[in-house]
Amino acid sequence: MKSRISVVLMVVLVASLALAAPKAKSVVTVRVLSAKVMANPKFIGAAAGSVSRGQHLTFEEAKGDWYRVTGAYSGWIHKTNLTERQVTLSSKPGGEGAGAASRDEVELAGRGFTPQVEGQYREKNPNLDFTHVDAIEKTTIDPSELEAFMAEGKLGGGQ
Amino acid sequence: MSRLRIAAILLAAAALGSCKLELTPDGMAKAYRGIKEARKDLTPENEYYVGRAVATNILARGNYKYRDAQGFQSGKLEGMTAYVNAVGSVIANASLSVVHEDDREAPLAGWHFVVLEDKTINAFAAPGGYVFVTSGAIEKAGSEDELAAILAHEVAHVRRGHALGSIKKSRFSGVFKEMLDSSVQLDAAALGKLTEVFDGAMDDMTDSLLVKGYSRDTEFEADKVGLEIMIKAGYDPKAFVTYLNKLKATQATGSGGFSATHPKATDRIAKLEAQVKKAPAITVPPARVARFKAVVLGVE
Repeated sequence: MKSRISVVLMVVLVASLALAAPKAKSVVTVRVLSAKVMANPKFIGAAAGSVSRGQHLTFEEAKGDWYRVTGAYSGWIHKTNLTERQVTLSSKPGGEGAGAASRDEVELAGRGFTPQVEGQYREKNPNLDFTHVDAIEKTTIDPSELEAFMAEGKLGGGQ
Repeated sequence: MSRLRIAAILLAAAALGSCKLELTPDGMAKAYRGIKEARKDLTPENEYYVGRAVATNILARGNYKYRDAQGFQSGKLEGMTAYVNAVGSVIANASLSVVHEDDREAPLAGWHFVVLEDKTINAFAAPGGYVFVTSGAIEKAGSEDELAAILAHEVAHVRRGHALGSIKKSRFSGVFKEMLDSSVQLDAAALGKLTEVFDGAMDDMTDSLLVKGYSRDTEFEADKVGLEIMIKAGYDPKAFVTYLNKLKATQATGSGGFSATHPKATDRIAKLEAQVKKAPAITVPPARVARFKAVVLGVE
């Protein structure tokens, strides 16, 4: 019986560690190419500003899936946009840098599986036009416009 | 340690070029971890580059033109493309609250929705959040909620890593997890090997997306998860079934497009019925109806 309880406690402990938010004042890094720091913990409404992959922020507190951060901008950012690991991809094959990345991170950007392989693949397939996807992925939705769109359509669950 | 095991480690070390390897028993064990399942083993960075190439291949193989190319260039979308991206963003944001084991992480470059100029009914999702929907599929939808059902099904494919899962396991023979790490410097031989894998993976994924389709169970899963996302977003779950009923009529006579790559609509409806019954009833506001008519049907 005791051993069963120990196993259950261990499972609960491991699960809670896996789901735990970072420690207050710890450094978190932006893992997506670009993300908005929002005034409130939701995807819509006013944004404090945009942050780029590799940029460091200070974690302050968590509210559900949203983290309040300070740094280049202070506000709320969805946890899926952040990582506690080191981020090394700071530019794209076209050579467009992430802006906020340090020199070391920019130097790392040319290495590794992905940018190099895409470069070779493009050389082997000159008929493929990557300018379309370059343009497509530049577009973003204005969170204030999205807020109005959702309010008009009475949408909003899970946002 | 067997000779074979040592040889595998040395091969991995050679392939990894200047990458630092820990020459401890644990480090050696890590040095030749193979790729067992692309859907789980590929990193978000890998998915981003794979997705860019799949999206490019979809446009090239279908010789597709897409709406609002000018808007994508300027970064300011208009008309139907702006509308589809607004609905898609609501769905994509809601998808983060619908979590399943082994979901892919949120796409590095965000979600993007492209309207293809094509009267056939179809939609595709490349890894990394690039979703394509034909003008024919949008016009077939009678409401924003039905459009949301199409997009939710595609977003579910990406969240569940279905396209990555269609890469043949044999492609990764001789490839190690460490070779997929973007911080690792690869030598020419390893780079050549990975380019060969990438090339083959493109064939597998574009064939699944455009020609062969996924397995029936994969499509049923995209329906189930897509419906969960729709409900979370506040769209009417019944619209998913309404749209499938329209496809049923088309599928009976149609060839190519979604008919060639999806299970029968009647089977899909049967799988969703219980889930729809359990969902809370939604009253669709008139403004949602009116804006769909205005943007898609041109009716003010």
